[in-house]
This record gives sequence, C-alpha cells and structure tokens, in this order.
Amino acid sequence: MTVYSLLHVIAMNIWVYSLLVLWTVIGVILSPLQIVFLRWRHQWPVDRAVRHIIWMYGRGWLVLISPFVSFRREGLSPDQLPERCVFVINHLSFFDTYFMAGLPHSDVTFAVRSWPFKMFWYRLFMRLANYLEVEDLSWQETTARGTEVLNHGGSVLFFPEGHRSRDGQIQRFYSGAFQLAVAAQCPVVPLCITGTDILLPPGRKSLRPCRVQLRILPPVAVDDYQHEGGHLALKKKVKSQMVEALKEMTDIPAEAAEMVSSC
Amino acid sequence: MTEQEIITTVNTALAEEFELDLDEMTPDVSLYEDLGLDSLDTVDMVIVLEGAFNFKIREEADVKEIRTLGDIHAFVAKKLAAES
Repeated sequence: MTVYSLLHVIAMNIWVYSLLVLWTVIGVILSPLQIVFLRWRHQWPVDRAVRHIIWMYGRGWLVLISPFVSFRREGLSPDQLPERCVFVINHLSFFDTYFMAGLPHSDVTFAVRSWPFKMFWYRLFMRLANYLEVEDLSWQETTARGTEVLNHGGSVLFFPEGHRSRDGQIQRFYSGAFQLAVAAQCPVVPLCITGTDILLPPGRKSLRPCRVQLRILPPVAVDDYQHEGGHLALKKKVKSQMVEALKEMTDIPAEAAEMVSSC
Repeated sequence: MTEQEIITTVNTALAEEFELDLDEMTPDVSLYEDLGLDSLDTVDMVIVLEGAFNFKIREEADVKEIRTLGDIHAFVAKKLAAES
C-alpha cells in the first residue's frame, strides 16, 4: 500500500465512522418527530413509519460514504418492481443492510439473526419496525408475521445464506425465504450485491474505498412452485440466477479491475 | 435395496440439496453441529428423503430422534424393511 493509499484509507475511516456516529445520534434524537410527522402525513402505523425512517437513515449513509465509495443500482427500474415481494440477497459485509437504502421502496422488513438486535442504538428501531428475528421466533411465527407484512403491501428481505461469506463466494441457501414466498404467493426478487466485501469483509474493522453494485434481478413468480417441495425447486432456480448474475458482475475487464484496485 | 445403496442414495440426495461435501458425510457426523443444518432444514430433509425413496415419513415420530447421518441411514433401512 502506498503512502497516498494509506492516508486515503485513514481519512476514509475517520470521515465515515465519525459522521456515521453523528448521523445516528441525530437520527435517534429526531426520530420521534419524524414518526409523528409520517403518521400525520401518510396515516402510516408506527412500524411503517419506522421502516421509512430506517430507509432515510440508509440514504444518509449513501451520501456520507459517497466521497470514498461509488454506489450504483442497476437492473429492474422502480416501476417494474412489485410492491409486495420477498427479496433475497447475497451477504458479504455488515454494511450490506445499509445499502438496502438503494432500493426504491422503503417498506422493507428485514429478516435477521439475533445479533443485530444486540446493538442497543438500533435495537428499539428494529423492534418498532417489526423486523423478524429469525433465530428467536419459531418458523411458524416467522411465516405468520412475514405473511402479515406481505398482505399489508410491504416486502420482506432475507439473507438466505444466513451468514456473511468469508471468501466472497455465494454459500448454501436456507429455504425459509422461499417457503414464505410460496406460502404467501408473492414473487421472489433476487438482489445481487458486490464490492461490500472490499469495503468491510468479516473480521476486519477498517473500511476500504470501493465500488458497490446492487443489481435487482427480474421477479420470479411462485405459481409454478405451489406443489410439495416446490420451495426447494424455487430456491435452486433463484440461486442459479444469482450465481450467474454475480459472475457477470464480478467478471470485469482488466482495465476496470485496475481502476478498482487503485481507488 | 442394499445397505450401501441406501447410504449412497441418502448421502447423494442430502449433499445435493444442502450443498454438502460427500467426503465429510460419515455416519457419525452430527446433522446440526457438524453439517450446520437447522430445524427448518430438517423439514426440507424429510421432503428430500421422501422424494428419494418414494415413501412418506413426515408423520413418523422417529424422525424427531434423528441426530446423525447414521441415524438417517438406520431410519431409512428400517422404514424400507417395514414396507417390503
């Protein structure tokens, strides 16, 4: 690493972490007012208002990292995206969830493991937003609550790998997201993210500049998967599409790769 | 079906569904601690076994007792013997 690159990384870490703390504190302080305003303006229930606030918080994140991280969303346009669907996304980094602010819809309920609820500064908001704590709930409860979200016109987002990938490669998928999609008769929208493993892979604390790409793949209808074990076939189909898309996204020309490594 | 055929069919079906390494699939491995399956995977495992052996086992109480790969081999062998 050159001296310039090292200074660039140091500047990035000071900038991003300090502004993220500031942005979080401001968000926490202003959130009661925002909830009241959103309830008055849109007649939203508290959980819907909090999900919108979290999405806005993520939008702020995209702005504050923009001097060091170029973010691009591609694929399906907002008008092509179903209002209610089950999103599934590959998992590379702690910050993957923050980039979900790049989605055009704010009504997204995350299905997450228990450890994110241990972050006290986020816990209340995750509870108010009705996030699904999949390790704590039985699968019947998860399905019931997920179906309720979908029936109210929202979407549920899963990381079907369950854990962040340690080597950047997509891992085995758990089938919960696909069971929910089949049970609720909602399309699955696969999302593919690249670059966050350079930003902050598991096991590292310092951030690195990078390019993050989020691709929204076409929805996969569940009509043909209503038979017994159909969710397993749906899982395979969605995963194969994601593997193909990720290969295409990471298969960048040599000159572009050189630009990425030097940024 | 011989015992070896049962083992091969079970291991191949589970390896394909859960993306497991066939070399690690010895009878003594725990499904949960060693192979990383969870309770929801158990439901999928039943569906996969029903498809592979063309029988119904989801109502069987013994399914809940399965802990290792060897338990599955024994369970399937017992079920097939009872049906024949």
